[in-house]
Amino acid sequence: MNLLINTAMNNNLALCPQCHKLNKLRSEAAKREKIQCVRCHGLFYQRKPQSLQYTLAWNIAALIAFIPANLYPIMIIYSLGIGDPSTILSGIGQFIDQGLYPIAVIIFTASIIVPLLKIIGLFLLVYRVHTGVRLRPDKHSKFYHALEFLGPWSMLDVFVVALLVAVVELGFVTSVAAGPAINYFTLTVIFTMLAANSFDPRLLWDKNQDKEILKEENDN
Amino acid sequence: MSTNIDTKQFIACQQCDALYGKPDLIQGQSAKCVRCGNIMAERKVDSIERSFHWSLAGILLLLPAILLPIMGVTLAGQYHHASLLDCIVALIDRGFFMIATLVFLFAVAVPVVRLFGAFYITYTFKFNKLKPSLLPFFRAFHHLDSWAMLNVFMLGIVVSMYKLLDDTELSVNLGLLAFILWLISSTMASIALDQDYIWQELEDEFVN
Repeated sequence: MNLLINTAMNNNLALCPQCHKLNKLRSEAAKREKIQCVRCHGLFYQRKPQSLQYTLAWNIAALIAFIPANLYPIMIIYSLGIGDPSTILSGIGQFIDQGLYPIAVIIFTASIIVPLLKIIGLFLLVYRVHTGVRLRPDKHSKFYHALEFLGPWSMLDVFVVALLVAVVELGFVTSVAAGPAINYFTLTVIFTMLAANSFDPRLLWDKNQDKEILKEENDN
Repeated sequence: MSTNIDTKQFIACQQCDALYGKPDLIQGQSAKCVRCGNIMAERKVDSIERSFHWSLAGILLLLPAILLPIMGVTLAGQYHHASLLDCIVALIDRGFFMIATLVFLFAVAVPVVRLFGAFYITYTFKFNKLKPSLLPFFRAFHHLDSWAMLNVFMLGIVVSMYKLLDDTELSVNLGLLAFILWLISSTMASIALDQDYIWQELEDEFVN
């Protein structure tokens, strides 16, 4: 597999992330400096600076927020004055008890699997790019895009709680209140989205290219 | 390597940085990166017209979708319904300011700004009123791309309906229809918008 492909970076060019215009770099030093796009005048870097560090930091924040998000109740259902708190997991349990399996699966995927997959997946990507061990840029970049696409769907539970709080408001008979977990859960979702945005998928290919060049030099 | 490259002759993949000669696309064609499979450039069919009309439809549907009640419940003779705006107001009443702000941003503000943005841009193209201020405007427009969550809110409506169906009498209101149509038109407006074409035209007009 020939992975030594001509890239914009090798040609002293940088791609504007907003308008996708190629910009020429004026000097060698400009590789790490802020560039102003000639077309849209937006500021950008050839590669996101400290991309791995930012991703890691947001990721750790997301992981920390995910703990109280699961321990505190996300929703409290009051009926005839008695409150019944439920966490994310016990809410899913209620759906299973009621036999609503498709909904249980959707909520479980959106609230538990996707955030965890995103956090673990981004840790893995950062690790692979950092060390270069078993790096498969073709597979890993597809995986990254899947993570990026799935991100917003985790907000599902928050929207469901917001809707239930607004709709089920029948005074003493029954009402729904949001629990403190909703704050932490929203923070988890936002932090994972910021973590995914901080990651620069081009690093996967850069690292791979460096490895290929190194291998070629060793062979000769 | 050489520094005398004419940047107009080349494009690079946004995802893996591979460099290619600029393809000459006709409407409906797209260029895919051979290395990572990402669609780098796309020439959309009838982009300005389609996006203009979809965003116009979206703007007309905006107020009914936000203000009309989406669904209501009846239990023990009492009835209560709520609209999208009521969700935000209810959260504010209970003191969940952060969640209220974020729901407002993701489900109301960002989609609304995107709709008006798409409408304004296509309007200026359709009636040939291009001006240099469109460059920073369209650049700012791109920052909102990943923060519109109307589709997620729609799934939220479906899930909460299921939940309510079980132990209450659920009624669906006109707001749901308006919301679905609003979701469709704002999605279509942003799908139809051809960003490459708009940038190219703006560049030819105002840069050099």
